Amino acid sequence: MLCVMPLWSQAAEMRVPAVVEAGQRFSISVGGSGQATFYLVGPDHVVKRTVSLGSDLQIASGDVRAAGRYQLILCDSSSCNSASFEVTAAAPAHLSFFLRPSRVPVSTPGSIDATAFAFDQYFNLVLTPAAVDFRITPQSGAGFSRRASTRDGVAWIRMDSTPHEGRVEVTAVAGKVEEARVIQQVAAEACGLRMKAVASGNDVTLETDPVRDCSGNALPDGTVVSFTKVDEAGKSTVDTPIKKGIARVQFSVRGRAQVSVACGVVLGNEVALTGKL
Amino acid sequence: MKSPAFITAILKKILHGCKAVSFAVAVCVLASAQSSPQIQLPEVHLDAAGLAPRPIEELTGTTIARHYALAWHDLAAALEFDRAEGLGEEFVGFARDRLIQRIGEQNQTGLHVHIADHGHHLKAVFYSSDGAAMQLLDQAQLEIQTFDGNKLIDTQSAPHEYIVLMTPGADRWYVRDLEEVSAKSF
Repeated sequence: MLCVMPLWSQAAEMRVPAVVEAGQRFSISVGGSGQATFYLVGPDHVVKRTVSLGSDLQIASGDVRAAGRYQLILCDSSSCNSASFEVTAAAPAHLSFFLRPSRVPVSTPGSIDATAFAFDQYFNLVLTPAAVDFRITPQSGAGFSRRASTRDGVAWIRMDSTPHEGRVEVTAVAGKVEEARVIQQVAAEACGLRMKAVASGNDVTLETDPVRDCSGNALPDGTVVSFTKVDEAGKSTVDTPIKKGIARVQFSVRGRAQVSVACGVVLGNEVALTGKL
Repeated sequence: MKSPAFITAILKKILHGCKAVSFAVAVCVLASAQSSPQIQLPEVHLDAAGLAPRPIEELTGTTIARHYALAWHDLAAALEFDRAEGLGEEFVGFARDRLIQRIGEQNQTGLHVHIADHGHHLKAVFYSSDGAAMQLLDQAQLEIQTFDGNKLIDTQSAPHEYIVLMTPGADRWYVRDLEEVSAKSF
């Protein structure tokens, strides 16, 4: 494959393709006779050699790997002529894929961003629009796919997190190129938080029901639950982590007491108690 | 030599004048590195109107324009004197690798390039939602002269267009990819 566009620019003594795909060798027709010095100046490569005029100059694939504009200069003993051509990226061969954030609450609208940069085998940004499929595979539940087209080499989507906690793999696919990333979906805020009280003398043990979000996912152990007691002795709050799905705390109660429970921004039920002291 | 405070005041005046309907930033004329002598930076205008998926903060725009100007200043010096160390800290990744290779090969062949930089009009086209990457298109007014030793062998003065990928670091924005493209990309 010589060039992607059958367009030729005319320098004084050179016929140069206007556009060449990265890594494709090609030849340049050079008129005249005798010898000249030939220069090729590209983004990452410079060639200088003596050539015979009146023959074709071979440009090796390794001379045009980087995308961008290249300058060809031909100097004989009296003057120099120049022409330029553009090297464009080849087909996508690498995806630089970013998936954010690494942890996200379930069922949160617009919480996940997936961005893919398409590069060819020489790591040139592929500016020709290309379709990128983002395949989402949750740990539980059905997988699905979203398609985006690259614009200036970039494709991105924003999507909602799915309802179930666990590992979610997102794979960006462009042609035969795949790149996978994983995020962890975690339970959202507690939902329907409830506690019950068990009296024992002057003490009372308060224990929540299993703490879950609105999708039924258990909040992870270590999540802090706050119990607040108001009685004759005043107001006191105890923060305790969830253990095995349940938060538990023991209070001493003086007279009548009101106890409430909260987890994050979620308030649970209140319990009225009567102490014997 | 003017103080950094003086330079900052000038930049603020310039920026104030650049606040139009669309968000735009210009880093023009002189800028001073904090502890280094004054350097003349090319003029850079940044247009970030309609940027997605994340809008740009004004301070970010100012920083990007300044470091892009610094990058071109360093690039011109490195290509002129064939000194890769002249690239400074503005380039990373593919952009830096390619320029270092180019400079090395210029050195081997005895070529050097003089760039007369008449300014850049940057248009920000993509800013990732986490702020980790920004893509820009640059319409640059450059006059590029190529020398073999002391002999001028080519002069190019047509406008140049580049697609640029910049990423943030601890204290600056880096040029991670810089590719010249045809004008149709704009």
